[in-house]
Amino acid sequence: MFIKAILTLVTTCLLITISLAAYRLHTILSPHRPRPTRKHGDPVHLLIILGSGGHTAEMLSMLSRTISSPDPALQLNWSSLTYRTWITSENDTLSAQRAVVFERETGSEVEAKYRRDMHAPPQKPAQIVTVPRAREIHQPLYSAPISSLRCLLASVVVLVNCAAQGRGYPDVVLCNGPATATIVVFAALVLRFFDVRGAHTQGKLRTVYVESWARVKKLSLSGVLLERVVDRFVVQWPQLAEGGKGRRRRREYLGVLV
Amino acid sequence: MSAQNKGKTCFVTIGATAGFSALIEAVLAPTFLPALEAHNYTHLVVQYGKDGETLYRNCLQKIVEADRPTTLQISGFTIDPAGLKSHLLKTKGHSNPLASPGVVISHAGSGTILDCLRISVPLIVVPNSSLLDNHQVELAEALAEQEYVVHGRLEDLAGALAQVEEVRARIEGKQWPPVNSGVHRQAKGLKGVLDEEMGWLD
Repeated sequence: MFIKAILTLVTTCLLITISLAAYRLHTILSPHRPRPTRKHGDPVHLLIILGSGGHTAEMLSMLSRTISSPDPALQLNWSSLTYRTWITSENDTLSAQRAVVFERETGSEVEAKYRRDMHAPPQKPAQIVTVPRAREIHQPLYSAPISSLRCLLASVVVLVNCAAQGRGYPDVVLCNGPATATIVVFAALVLRFFDVRGAHTQGKLRTVYVESWARVKKLSLSGVLLERVVDRFVVQWPQLAEGGKGRRRRREYLGVLV
Repeated sequence: MSAQNKGKTCFVTIGATAGFSALIEAVLAPTFLPALEAHNYTHLVVQYGKDGETLYRNCLQKIVEADRPTTLQISGFTIDPAGLKSHLLKTKGHSNPLASPGVVISHAGSGTILDCLRISVPLIVVPNSSLLDNHQVELAEALAEQEYVVHGRLEDLAGALAQVEEVRARIEGKQWPPVNSGVHRQAKGLKGVLDEEMGWLD
């Protein structure tokens, strides 16, 4: 009798927790959740995630095109982004260098920061932080969950430290396909789920994913994983966005961006 | 390579990440060299990657020992840390009135393809079929369909070379990135998406 009562209680609690969690997920994942409105000149913070090789090349190519577009309607004024944070993987010095070069060409200095001393107030508009790799190139699959978890924890620390600094959380997270980017996006979801430091209520950490230009008919693994959870899902071949049913409705084709 | 100041160059690149020995063998094969000569190529430059040096030397040895000597000047290098841009421009005959524009033969890496499209040098894309996740074939096919590149197969590089002059004429008038047309004419690009997500009012 007593046991039965306890079992009923436990089941009820579980059911309530699960439905609340599901409702919470639905709330934080809705692309229609309220966006903050800003006037030009209000401080904003963009987070850019670089991966290895082709991903970094595509990201920088896309950004270069956007800031140097001859059409004023398509041209992004880089300095209108008050704060920029670049995330690269540990040991990927090449990507970090390319980010520094990119910022330098726009006339900005970059702070290289360690995760532990990130609370220091921002000195310069741009900063670079590294997180451990989600997966080494030849790493056996069985140990991937462990390294991914390390990467996830580090990403949460980076984002929370941003919030603790003067910069605040990134308003928008811009990424393409590297494994690290997938993990950082999930870190952003965790923070929004628990509304850590107002990540959800203040409408922070909105996510934009751009699928690789090299993907013509099928999404990459990162694309498949992120399609349901990012706020904007941009593809670069019309074939990927055609037949606007179900999930595909959220895919946007805006032409070639790289 | 200093002798590249006149003539017509075929530049072959296998990329920086994975090896592609089949492509090195194919471009140095006794059947392919006469095809290059027939199309007036004078130089063959091969970027063979860090694992490709022995193979490259062996192929050269075979060419030297062959009955019929080649008129091509063949050279090669492992990898250029400064990137391929200068090699692509040289192949294009950039700032060199004596040179005829040449051709690039490449693995289907998206970075190399983009670089070639930007400077509009004709490109034969040869996907590396030994790689597992071969989405590169899709990219090569899609671009070949739009007539930006020639989709080459290892067994028939000579046939691909014959199509190059056609592509050269076409891409002269085409620009990259393509101007968005039709439905996407009003496309707002990356700036539009970022603006909307930032919530800027104007």
